[in-house]
Amino acid sequence: MSLFAAIRKLWHSIAPRTHGDVEEEFRSTLDAYQDDLIRHGLPEEEARRKARIDLGQPAAQYDTYRDAIGLRLFDELGGDLRHGLRALRRNPGFAVVAVFSLALGIGATTAMFSLIYAILLHPFPYVGADRIMNPHAISEQHPDVFQWFTLSKAQCDDLRLAAPVDSVLGFTSGHLEITNDGLPEDISGVYLTENADTFFGVRPLFGRMIEPFDADHPVVVLNYRFWQRRFAGDPHVIGRTLEMDHDSYTIVGVMPRSFAFFDKSVGDVYLPASLMRAVANGPAPSFLPWIKLRPHVTVAAANAALEPIVFEMATHHSRVSGWHLGLQPIIVPYQQKTGRTLRLLLAGVVLLLIIGCANCSILLLARGRTRQHELAIRSAIGASRWRIVRQLLVEALVISCTGAVVGVAASYWLARFPLSLSPDSFPAESVIRINASVLAFSVGLALLCGILFGLAPALRLSRNDPARSLPGRQAGVVAAPRKHRWSVLIAAQVALTLLLMATAGTAIHSFLELMQMPLGYDPANVMELGMGLHFHDPAQWRRIQSREARTAYIEQIREKIASVPGILTVAVGTDATPPYSDPVNTDSSFNIDGTRDREQSQARVILVGQQYFAALHIPLLQGRIWNTDENTRGDFIAVVNRAFATRYLSSSNALGRQLRIAGLPLQDHFTASSAQSTAWRQIIGVVGDARNDGVDRPVVPAIYLPYTTVMRQYVQFFVRTQGDPLTYLHSIRAAVASVASDQQISNGAFTLNEAIERDAQYSRQRLFSILFGVFSAMALGLALVGIFSLVAYSVAQRTTEFGVRLALGAPRTHVLWIAVRIALVSAAAGMVIGLALDSFLGVVLAHWMQSAFAAGSLLAAATLLALGAFLACLLPARHAIAVPPAESLRYE
Amino acid sequence: MTKPVELPQGTLEMLILKAVSLGPLHGYGILLRIQQISGERLEILQGSFYTAIYRLERQGWIKGKWGESENNRRARFYSLTAAGRRQLKAESAKWTDMAAVVAGILDKKAGEI
Repeated sequence: MSLFAAIRKLWHSIAPRTHGDVEEEFRSTLDAYQDDLIRHGLPEEEARRKARIDLGQPAAQYDTYRDAIGLRLFDELGGDLRHGLRALRRNPGFAVVAVFSLALGIGATTAMFSLIYAILLHPFPYVGADRIMNPHAISEQHPDVFQWFTLSKAQCDDLRLAAPVDSVLGFTSGHLEITNDGLPEDISGVYLTENADTFFGVRPLFGRMIEPFDADHPVVVLNYRFWQRRFAGDPHVIGRTLEMDHDSYTIVGVMPRSFAFFDKSVGDVYLPASLMRAVANGPAPSFLPWIKLRPHVTVAAANAALEPIVFEMATHHSRVSGWHLGLQPIIVPYQQKTGRTLRLLLAGVVLLLIIGCANCSILLLARGRTRQHELAIRSAIGASRWRIVRQLLVEALVISCTGAVVGVAASYWLARFPLSLSPDSFPAESVIRINASVLAFSVGLALLCGILFGLAPALRLSRNDPARSLPGRQAGVVAAPRKHRWSVLIAAQVALTLLLMATAGTAIHSFLELMQMPLGYDPANVMELGMGLHFHDPAQWRRIQSREARTAYIEQIREKIASVPGILTVAVGTDATPPYSDPVNTDSSFNIDGTRDREQSQARVILVGQQYFAALHIPLLQGRIWNTDENTRGDFIAVVNRAFATRYLSSSNALGRQLRIAGLPLQDHFTASSAQSTAWRQIIGVVGDARNDGVDRPVVPAIYLPYTTVMRQYVQFFVRTQGDPLTYLHSIRAAVASVASDQQISNGAFTLNEAIERDAQYSRQRLFSILFGVFSAMALGLALVGIFSLVAYSVAQRTTEFGVRLALGAPRTHVLWIAVRIALVSAAAGMVIGLALDSFLGVVLAHWMQSAFAAGSLLAAATLLALGAFLACLLPARHAIAVPPAESLRYE
Repeated sequence: MTKPVELPQGTLEMLILKAVSLGPLHGYGILLRIQQISGERLEILQGSFYTAIYRLERQGWIKGKWGESENNRRARFYSLTAAGRRQLKAESAKWTDMAAVVAGILDKKAGEI
């Protein structure tokens, strides 16, 4: 009811007086005038006539009224709109094709825009996110080398006092175990300084964020996904307790879905920083800082002001000289990582949109020829050219707006597509949704498209000379007038389609190449399983603190897992997951006996159990793998990969050579290393090269050592199973629990195939090949529909002409040639332009996609397009010769 | 009979405002009043008359209200609003100024220029 009232009020303010009101007033004036005339002696009939001649018709008065108050344009546009809709309804085939062509382009472009909006323009839900800086130390010699640094809580507080700083958040993450119910679960906790609430400014979904008065109080705030997973989205969770590491915490809040602090190690729970336990004998807890600058402070000014303060705090880090402070807005890493990907995809969808627009133009022009008669009549009875252009534009806008509605609806799903294909490239917090800016964008896009594709046909068709077009109804025999605009549009469409197809070809080609690259190991049916050992609990930790006890504990668990039916091999490893067998830091340097010390002797040290090679199917090329005793001892032996042997031991037999890795062991509170870990080791075996630096990069020389050489507070198991490994998770949990009931297993168990899919290059290539494949398929479809409908229309138009030609004895092939000539020639011209364009742009594009430009895929794309274009010309053209001459002549 | 005068562009509105300023009038009444004041010398183009009325009402310078006419017909009576009164004052001042300037120029003799 109130809605109706509002509409009525709005309508009233636009047109305050009703039709009846205006007419009644006019009639009363008319009558008064008429009475006057009668009083002056005119006969009634005469007076009536004169009154109407002088004042006008009452029925037309409302138009005068609307014209006077400036609503005429509005009325006429309404009329045009109705006319446009009627025209579309009359010709549904045309309408569907035109709307669909645009919906594809607008939908894809809107999807890409909402992606860019969510990822690059507004990725973070924090208040003043553009002022939040991630500080790091940049090496003066190598500006691309930088390091994060940590501050103590007191230092965070000091930094807060600096002039350009609004506030400072200190945070650090740690692993926690849920200990109160069922099987223990390993979760990630993020400790936040107690100003978290004001720093983020994000309103919690329930309860509250960490507040200053929470210091030293055991409270916890839940992440949305954790809350969904663990508490099934229970809204009454506030006030309940959560037991972690045998301590009770009170749940005080749940954060909204958009809050996923921070980055890739999103916390399951958020805790006050003061609860961060100082580990026995460990250093005081330290925090990574995020600095929120005051408004209007430039990054450069803040850098200069904060550098002395930060470096004075960091003096004990002993790396102050040669480094300077760099504040980086938190969005920058994502812009660097995904900016180029998104730009490329945006270019792809814009091409698609242009092709869709060209298609609509072609359709309008082709259809326009059937409407020339109607338009000629309109202009003959006095419609101005502007009026006709306007009407045709409104019709075009009707098409484009319908297309936009369909497209925006589709974009809701389309935008999710890249995210699901390459989840790690985008910030966890960016939520794709259709919001006001995205809607405004697509409405603007629709208007722009409507004008873009509608203007050329409108100008062309409105330039009708009625004298020529009106009798032209019978002059179907005369060869059709100029069609240059069609040919240009067809050529442009074909050229752009070829460009898109060739780009897709390059992407698919390099992705296939990537997939066929030998990995050197067999990822199928192998799962990685991480475990954090009990280091939070001092009593438990003492039990497994020694190297021997820890080895025994790990081996016991390994054997239990291996005894589960269906599990084939279980191997231990430390950060040894291919294709990134990631050592703890960088490659280590080593010496080999009998060779001069070379500075460049660097290799990746991979710590594994002896079953690793069997579990991953890495072949043994020479010698042997270490045995159980050697594994327990850890020292004096090593296995190298083929890349190592060829690079460093090329001159002689690898077996029996000695090497020494001086960089071991790693100094860490939790690390236990073997007695002779840095002593000389004999190479007892050479194994095949398994990818260890990403799927697309050459294998780095690697030294495999028993994992007992350097043991850390966590361990990995590689489990090869029959069938899908993840289905064994439950029985593995039970097996582990039979050794130690409180031993948790990390949630992040994943198969080695998943590890490949997460590889940055792999996921980017997959994203490009799938999306560009889709784009180019759409473009191909659009271009072929464009050519098809153009030929079909022109054949329908010229039926009479063809009939006459055939009747006069023209060969059928000649008539066929006439029917397809223009379309075929323009398509061929488009191919040539496309090939030229692509050989120029292809190299640049390939470089952007970080893949090799493939000439073969360009050729394949061109062949496919040529074949399609040929068929699209020929199929409708057959009708030109299919109709018997007598019948086509009878149309007249 | 005196010669009829043609109205310059935009002056019809001013005349309507003037006519209504003397008291509420219906459309035909305004027409008669203007002709009467001008001594029957103004030939108002009938078609543009109502356009002017609608426009003035839209601007909020006159306000229409239904009532009874002198011969018991329903008619719409227009009266001047406060804004209309200000507008009339401004317009007449402008008009007088302009007329004085133009008349001054035209009155100049050859020797005076």
